[in-house]
This record gives sequence, C-alpha cells and structure tokens, in this order.
Amino acid sequence: MSPVRTSPPRWALRFFKWFCDPDLHPYLEGDLLELYELNRSSRGVSTARWRFILEVIRLFRPGIIKSFEGSQQLNQYGLIKNYYKVSMRNILRHKTFSLLNISGLGVGLASCLLILVFIHHELSYDTYNAKYHRTYRVLQHFGDEENLGTTGEVPTSSLQVWGNAPVAPALKEYFPQIENVFRFTSDFDWLVAYNDQRFQEKGIAFADSTFYQVFDWRWLAGDARSALVRPETMIISRQMAEKYFGDEDPIGKALLMDGEESYEVTGVYEIPPNSHFSFPAFISMATFINMNPDIFTSWGYVDFYTYFTLNDNADIATLEANIPEFLERHASEHPWYTIRFEPLADAYLYSAAGRQPGPTGNYGNIRIFTLVAFFILLIACINFMNLSTARSIERAKEVAIRKTIGSSRTALVFQFLVEAVLLTLFSAVMAVALVWLFHGHLEMLVGKELPVNWLLTPLHLGYAVAFVLGLGLFTGLYPALALSRFTPIKVFKGAVKTSSGGVWLRKSLVVLQFAISIMLISGTAIVYNQLQFLRQYDKGFDDDQVLVIDYGWDGKVQRSLETVKAELLRYNAVVSVAASRATPGDFFPNAGTGIASPAGELVYHGPSLYEIDEDFIPTYGMEMAAGRNFSSEHPSDSATALIVNEAAARLFGYAHPEDIVGQRFEQWGRVGRVIGVVSDFNYVSLHDDVEPLALRYATRWNTSMLSVKLRSHNYQETLTEIEKIWKTLVPHRPFVAHFKDTHFNEQYEADARFGSVFSIFSGLAIGVACLGLFGLTVFSTAQRRKEIGVRKVLGASTQRLVSLLSLDFIKLFLLAVFIAVPVSWYAMQLWLEGFAYRTAVSWEVFALAACCTLGVSLLTMSFNTLSAARANPTASLRDE
Amino acid sequence: MGKYQIGEFEEIVLLTVGVLYGEAYGVSIKQSIEEKLMRKVSVGALQSALKRLEEKGYLTSKAGEATSDRGGRPKRYFLLTAAGTEAIEHARQIRNRLYDEIPKIALDLKLAVR
Repeated sequence: MSPVRTSPPRWALRFFKWFCDPDLHPYLEGDLLELYELNRSSRGVSTARWRFILEVIRLFRPGIIKSFEGSQQLNQYGLIKNYYKVSMRNILRHKTFSLLNISGLGVGLASCLLILVFIHHELSYDTYNAKYHRTYRVLQHFGDEENLGTTGEVPTSSLQVWGNAPVAPALKEYFPQIENVFRFTSDFDWLVAYNDQRFQEKGIAFADSTFYQVFDWRWLAGDARSALVRPETMIISRQMAEKYFGDEDPIGKALLMDGEESYEVTGVYEIPPNSHFSFPAFISMATFINMNPDIFTSWGYVDFYTYFTLNDNADIATLEANIPEFLERHASEHPWYTIRFEPLADAYLYSAAGRQPGPTGNYGNIRIFTLVAFFILLIACINFMNLSTARSIERAKEVAIRKTIGSSRTALVFQFLVEAVLLTLFSAVMAVALVWLFHGHLEMLVGKELPVNWLLTPLHLGYAVAFVLGLGLFTGLYPALALSRFTPIKVFKGAVKTSSGGVWLRKSLVVLQFAISIMLISGTAIVYNQLQFLRQYDKGFDDDQVLVIDYGWDGKVQRSLETVKAELLRYNAVVSVAASRATPGDFFPNAGTGIASPAGELVYHGPSLYEIDEDFIPTYGMEMAAGRNFSSEHPSDSATALIVNEAAARLFGYAHPEDIVGQRFEQWGRVGRVIGVVSDFNYVSLHDDVEPLALRYATRWNTSMLSVKLRSHNYQETLTEIEKIWKTLVPHRPFVAHFKDTHFNEQYEADARFGSVFSIFSGLAIGVACLGLFGLTVFSTAQRRKEIGVRKVLGASTQRLVSLLSLDFIKLFLLAVFIAVPVSWYAMQLWLEGFAYRTAVSWEVFALAACCTLGVSLLTMSFNTLSAARANPTASLRDE
Repeated sequence: MGKYQIGEFEEIVLLTVGVLYGEAYGVSIKQSIEEKLMRKVSVGALQSALKRLEEKGYLTSKAGEATSDRGGRPKRYFLLTAAGTEAIEHARQIRNRLYDEIPKIALDLKLAVR
C-alpha cells in the first residue's frame, strides 16, 4: 500500500497548521495522524479521511487556534494593545482635559450632524418622484415692452410659475418628447361639509387627471388612474379623509362644496412633506372646464401651474431651442408672452420665478448653515489641537523616556494618534446621544419633520465611521508630530519649556477662534436687527386692531353685504368695516391696465390689482397722495373710477401723483378716469419693493373678506361678541377670522426661524470656543504657577495678576476683531441684499459682538486666573 | 465545589490520565474514554479540556521522543499534578458524601421502581 495515496487530505493538514497554536501543533498533528492510521486500518481510507477532516474542523476552536499576539510576522497587535492601554490611562488620568476635548468635539459633531440632517432634508425636496430628473415646469411671462428690455431676454424674476391653461396641451401636441403634462390651478377656499361636519378649507385646487404620471404621491385608496377623470370628483389628502370620515371608507362618498355642489371622493393621497407644494384636496379639472370653458382656450387668462415629464432620452435643450417656433405657432397674437422651462430639481431651492405654488427654500440659508457647521467643527478641532499641544510640557518627559528606552518616532506618533482617535470616538458617541436628545427640538425650531433614518443605512454609517477616524487623525496629526519631536537630552536638562513653533501656531488658532466667534455673534445680531426692523417698519398702512373675517366668496353674504356691514358697525367696539377681494399680504391678481400717458394715448401695463370698497382705505389708515378715495356720494365710482398707487403713477409716466388724477383708463372692461393716488404701502413683503398697484371698486360678487377695525383692546370679548353677531347674520357659515397684524407677520416666519436656528448654532460655536479657551487658560496658568507665586510674594495684587494673565489673550483678541469685522460686514451685506428694506449695519453691532466675546472669554478665564492669583504662594513655591 | 472548579468532562479526563499513568497522550486518552464511557470524543474537545486543566495546574505535560510513526511527530504525555490528584480526590469525596446522605428508602424505592 502506497503511503502517498492513502495519506490524509493535504489541505486539511495545511489548514490545521495555519490556525493551530504553534506550541501545540506537532503533538496534535501526531495524534491526528495516529488516529488516521488506526481508522484506516479498521474502517478503510475514505472513512479515515472523512473523520480526519471532521476532527480538524472540530479542533478549530479557541484554545487551539493560535493567539493573535503570538507570532511577530502577523502584526503589531501587542503594540497596538499597549497604545490603547496607555491612551486609556492618559484619558482617564487627565479628566479635565479629556472632558473638555470630548465635550467640545461632541457638541461640535452633534451640531454638524443636526445641520446635516436639516440640509439633507432641504436638498431632498421632490426627489421621491421617480421621474425627478426629467420633470420640468413651465415658467411664463405675460409682459409688456418695457420688461422685455432691448435683448428680448426676460429677466428670471419677471417670470412666473403661474400661467395660462392652453399652453399645456399645446406643448404636449407640439413636442413629441413630452411624455406627460399635468396642470393644477391656484387654490381656492371652499366651505366643505359632510353630514354635520362643516369647515372652511384653505387651498383646494383643480387638477388634471394626469397627476400620477408626473408625481409619485403616496396613494392610499381608490384608483389613481381614473380618480380625476370625471367631472365633480375629487381626491383628498389623508388628513382631510381622517377629519371628515374618521374610520369610514371615503371612496364613493360625496362632500358638499360651498353648500351647492357635491363632489364624489375618488381617492385618498398623501403628498410627502418634502414636496414644494401641497394641497389638502384636488377637484377634477373636468369640473372646472364645465364651469368655465372659455378659460381653457384663453392665452391671457392666468391661473394654472404646468408640469411635464420628458421621454427617457429627450433633451430639454432641444425643446428650449424650439420655444420661439412654438410661440410663433400658438401664441402669435400675444407678442409679449414667453415661456421658459425649469427643472423640478430647481423648483424648491433655486427658483427665482414669481407666484410659487408653495413655500420655497433658500439656498443662501443652506450655504450659511453649511458654513456655520464647518465653523463649529473647526473651532472644536482647534480646541483639540490647542489643548493637546499645550500639554506638551507634561508629555515631554514621557516622550523622552520612551525615546531613551528605544521607541522610534513613528511609534510615538502612532501612540498619540491612537489617543486622538480614541477621544474622537468618545465624542462621536456623545454626539449621537446629543442628536438623539435634541433632534426633536430642531424639528420644532425649523417647523418641519426632519427624518434621520437615512443616516442609518450601511453606506452612511460607513461614511460616519470613516469621517470620525479621519477627524481623529486630522486633529491628532499636528500634536503627534509636535510632541514626538522632543529630543530626550534637552527634556531631561529641562531645556524644553514650550515649543516655540507650537506657541505661534496655538496663538494663531486662538485668533481664528475669536474671529469666528465675533463673526457669528455679529451675524446673529444683524439677523435679529433686520427681523426687528421688518416688524416695526412703517408698511404704509395700519393693520393694528384689524380683524379680517373670511367668508370665501359666499353668495349669501355677498347678497346681503350692506346689512352685514351695518350690523357689525352697530357694535360699539367696531370703528369701520370694509369689504374687499383680499387684504394686504394675501393673494391678488394682476390686471392689464391702460392709462392715458402724459402724451394722451393709452399705455398698457400689468399692475397688481386690489378690489376694494370705499371703506377699505380709511380702515387700513392708508393715505391719499392725491385725488380722492371712492365714495358713496359718487355712485358712478363703482364702474368708472380707478385708484392707483404712487409706484403705478410713476410706471405710467407721471412724476407727480397729482398729474395722473383725471386721466382716462381702461381695465378689465371698465373705462373711466383715475380719481386718486394712494401713498405707497407694502402690500407684499419687505423682501420686495412696492410694486405698481391699481385699486378698483369691487362689485359685491368680487368680495370675499371683511376687514373690521376695532376700537377695544379687549380682543377676547370683542371677538366673541362679533362671532355672536356673525352667527345671527350668517348662520350657515363658520366664523373664520384672524388679526391682520399677526397674519401679515407670518410671512416673516421663515426669516424668524432662520434667525433662531442661526443664533442657537452660533451660541453653540461660541460655547465650544469658550471650552477651548478655558482649557488653554488652565494650562497656561499652571505653567506660570511659580511666576505667580514669586510675584505675589513680591507684593502683586490679585487684580494685577489677573490682568497679567488675561493680557496675552486680549492681544490676540484685538487681532481677531480686526479680521472678523470686515469679513462679517461683507457677509452680512450679502445676506441683507435679499431684502428690499434693510436695516443699516452699524458699528455698534460689531462693538457689541466684540464686547460679548471679550466678556464671555474673560469670564471663562476668570474661573482659572482668579483662583491662580488668589492661591497661597507657599503652595506653588514650596517644592523647591 | 469551591476551591476545585472542574466540570464533569474535565473530571473524566483527569481520572483517565490517572488511570493511564505515564502512558496518557492524546490518542490513548481518547480511546480509553471512548471504550470505558461508550461515548465519542473529538480531538478538539479533548485537547481544549487538556489545555484548560494544564492552565489550572491539575495536569503537567512533557514531550515524548519523536518516532518514525505518526509522521515523525512526538507524543505529548500528560501527568497528574498534586493539585490534580487533590481535585479528583475532592470530587470523589463530595460524591461519596452526597451519596451516603441519600435516605435508604429512596434508593430502595428507586430499585423497586426499576
């Protein structure tokens, strides 16, 4: 029998040798071979081989497998273990230092993570749509000669998302590359009723049945394909379904709209919160076509938002190139009408177009937040480097001894890096805990849900681990290189007091920290100033104590408008009552208006339009710059009079408002004379200048709101009283009212939220910087203990000593002020450019920011300097 | 058990090493246990038990001469140490004492039941 063929499997032997503890290997292999021989002779080769393999596998267990430390050629496991041990000891031994480092970096990381979550949410808008990258919307321009300029290029800001109806089918027909088109109208308020539940619903729009081909909203019930095909059908949001139907199945049920028509519910949807528009319900476009068929062929009637998707391989550029021909074919009788395409990806953050269907984000704010996150992290890293190098004297002896014993410099660098990475790991753990704790608070601050589950995917966790390791290496590298540079002989002689290069670097890093702090504080102060400025700015009208009752175009109220007004006026707390289409800050249309120019011919422009009655201007305390208000003494006012604002007077070519009074006008089927000019008032937002405005007399059928000026300050009582009056007058309609001033200020809510988030994170940044400063003072005072002792013995006062210790920092601080002021001045000017009305950036802001930073840092340092200066000199001098 | 922490399998291994006095190495211990206890023992289980007992100080080992058998690999012989002897002695006493404390009736009953 040949031993070669019958030997146990070679690979099993080799495998065994690979994993087995080398001390045990020869004996065990002997045993295995002996057993193999026994088995072979008693049971045959194949059984023996099989059993051999089985035994080898069963030997693969702890105790038999060689340990990792064992053989040198494997790795430096033992050394790494030692690094870890020494690092842990160091961290535990210098508790203040470790705590300062870990908490500073932890807060920094947590802030960054929170900002990241916020930014991720902002950038995620509309990305849930499968056709995100090939969805576009149509921007339209209904201009006049003047806006077009000389090049024929329309400025982006004069384009609007809101446009006419026929462009959508025309585009689809003209461009074969367009796959699907979807339109919806601007929203209306409806009185919605189901059984005995009746609410006024804000923001219900009409929509094409093709919504599901463009947007991937969550579809909860019904059939999306057929949901909006028939007239008098509607789809409702989940919230609305719950509100009206509770646990019932809403499909097939009818909602009574405005007390007149009932529409069948054919679907329930949910628009994800990261969508750039969202409505509580959509009524089928077919319903709207039946109501108003003319609109759908009129290129001048503006009420629609148009979105479309392209075929897979179509290129938007070819479509854009063909726009002129398209317009030539379809809209040649509207020479100033143009369209432009805007990708869905730009809709939320990057769109400058007017009349957005929902709130938009601000890319500038995202950039600012990114910068703040970067600053916070930078400050935390600087702390880390500063504290580590400041401790160099302490570590010098350790390094020297290690070197004497034979440690190489690389080994020392490695040791310090391990320590740094360990500290960052701890801070990462702390950061995760902080994010978990404060995520809800951030959601409240920004007023949005900010999902974090995307962070938990393996990819992002991998990024996080890599980032933390990288951060540890980055922050640890300089201290590691600096500390490992010491030469033992100098250290033992006591020649190394401070590494001079280190001092220079540390000082410049501190200057940077101070500078960033000052920038952030002055930024916060300017943001607050601006918000305050906006709130207190004289808007040109008085919305104080004005209660707005919204009756949503209710026909019954419109019919008895005079009675309602008279009844309300009988209550003694009411000063005046005005009916109008909308109130300042609300939605308003634009109207093509012709007014005779100074030369005498009619010139056409499209100013914004208010429809009001004769009480509107006095109720809001607006002033007439020239001419007169509408008046009941002139019955013809309702059909032949127009009021414009000063901006409109200028637009039509009149430098003096008096001159436009008495000129002919033509607007929406009315002709007559301009009777007055109202002083400019800010009817939109102080982000923008006052635009030209025309005010026409509203017929009763064009009113939807009553503005009630109140006398009393006892709002609660007045409100209940007015509601009582309303209930007797208009029993069929819920009482929907709000105070104008709070309502008007809501448009600054986004600014206010930005302000508070910004200030919180700047506060954090400054806090982290103070932690670092505190740490530095601890070490610098510790270094100068003896000096302080000697000075004290010689008669220095506590005050003198404290100022001596603080002086170094104050010098750095002054340098930082010089850097920070111009930079933040420039940055804040950029931010303020987003407002048409802005507060002046005064030097006081910077003085305040500088004083704040100085105050906080001196306070931080005083914990240390004071105790050092007060200490008994014997304590520091006795050991010599 | 207090001082002597050994498990049942470890006790059997210790006893077998004692039985095989001087001739106890991997294969012989394995075969002896398999014969007398009628149960299968894997080399892995046996070796880790031996290693643990050696670490606890109940066994000591010495390398044998390398021979032409077994692929030229030496045997590793195991011997009981004093502590090892004490440990099995202790285990045995405890068992005996416990056994003695069982009331006669229980044993009788058990016999009767069987």
